[in-house]
Amino acid sequence: MKWSIFKWLFCYGVAGISLISSSLKVCAEKRHLVLPNVKHENKLERYKRSWARLIPQYEKMQFAGSMGLISLGVGWDYGRREQWETDIFLGFLPRFDGDKAHLTMTLKENYIPWGLNIRQSRWMVEPFSVSMYINKILGDEFWGRLPDKYPEKYYSFATNLRINLAFGQRISLKWNSSSLSNQVTFFYEFGTNDLYLISYLTNKYWKFSDIFNLSLGLKVKFI
Amino acid sequence: MMGKVEILFFLCALLSACDPFEYHPYDVRLKGKYKDINRKNIERILANDTGKDTVRFAFAGDTQRWYDETADFVKAVNCRNDIEFVIQGGDLSDFGMKKEFCMMHDILSKLKVPYVTIVGNHDHLGSGEEIYRAMYGDLNFAFVYGGIKFLGMNTNALEYDYSTPVPDFSFLEKELRDSITAPYDRTVAMMHTPPGDLIFNNNVKYVFQEYLKRFKHLMFCVHAHTHRLMQTDFYGDGIIYFGADAMVHRNYLLFTITKDSYQYEVVYF
Repeated sequence: MKWSIFKWLFCYGVAGISLISSSLKVCAEKRHLVLPNVKHENKLERYKRSWARLIPQYEKMQFAGSMGLISLGVGWDYGRREQWETDIFLGFLPRFDGDKAHLTMTLKENYIPWGLNIRQSRWMVEPFSVSMYINKILGDEFWGRLPDKYPEKYYSFATNLRINLAFGQRISLKWNSSSLSNQVTFFYEFGTNDLYLISYLTNKYWKFSDIFNLSLGLKVKFI
Repeated sequence: MMGKVEILFFLCALLSACDPFEYHPYDVRLKGKYKDINRKNIERILANDTGKDTVRFAFAGDTQRWYDETADFVKAVNCRNDIEFVIQGGDLSDFGMKKEFCMMHDILSKLKVPYVTIVGNHDHLGSGEEIYRAMYGDLNFAFVYGGIKFLGMNTNALEYDYSTPVPDFSFLEKELRDSITAPYDRTVAMMHTPPGDLIFNNNVKYVFQEYLKRFKHLMFCVHAHTHRLMQTDFYGDGIIYFGADAMVHRNYLLFTITKDSYQYEVVYF
């Protein structure tokens, strides 16, 4: 009888201690590993979120527009009704009748002041857009700063950089679906550049229509 | 069934056919009428070679951004019927852009007589030289008209590094040897940049003159570039270099070459 009590006590005692100690161990582990993790993960999350703001919100493709035959780019829209856009493009210019093909880089800023939703439809029209962009053409024969071999100010412009000005219109389609994108915008623009403008302003022979040329584009919005 | 890529390709081809588009101010995409102009026009000049004693041609200076003046020049030349051809002395463009070359050709192609151009230093800017080659052909050329050899030469050495010989003596050698196939007894040398100018390779300034003098009876040389009328005996050897004024000053040089002499006058318009 006494033995049996002792036996039970012993059994329960061992079980109890091991239970308590294991639960204590869990607490200890939690205190050491889990609690600092929450802080770290918050910070990591904040870090990721700050970089995530730089994830491009849309992709664009533009045909012609003095920046190559085809240009592909990404960009960000912002402002109260996302009326501002900043795009960066990489353009491809084939060699055509010349000696070699060229790549171009473009930094483009667009302002689209008005957006008109077409009643009870998923279509939106933006009747006016104005864009300013700087295009740089890459290649040995183009320079930005006058090469040293020339006397100072021999040529007073950069052959590789053109400043462009363009005006256009847009139409967008929005939809709700499980696809990655739910808005597509088609746009066209008429654009000119600094040197065309100079040529136009210093001549009667150049007509206004001579300095503008057409380009077409597509914007696929993700965010 | 056309795939998406084919449809896109077809659309691009269709859009480039009607052509309100521009891919880049310095692209080298040219329509047929803008190609190989010097060769076509030299053929027209030679087709008119009736072997008469007098040759009369106009030499116009830099046109650059003076489109209105160039259009007036064309009108002035078209009013006369004694000019056989026109030489434009280079700097057809100001920035080397394709549109400038095309607009200038649109104006100059209204001349009733053929015109030939020489490459100027501005025509090298950006991809200007590639555009120039596609539009006008070789930068060094020669033709024989009325027994006179006309040499058109690229002398804009500063626009290159030393990998390209400017002026090109192997071209001159070839032309010297060529005298049997195209008989001539007098020579006129034409260039954009005159010797002594900072664009010229002045290291070979004297060699250049010696080479020119090896051609049969070098009568005179003619250049543009300086934007003013000039008449210089650069080497003190009696060979006169005539400098054409820029279009903005509304004049051109008119040369009349007879069997044993030549005259020139400055014609204002």
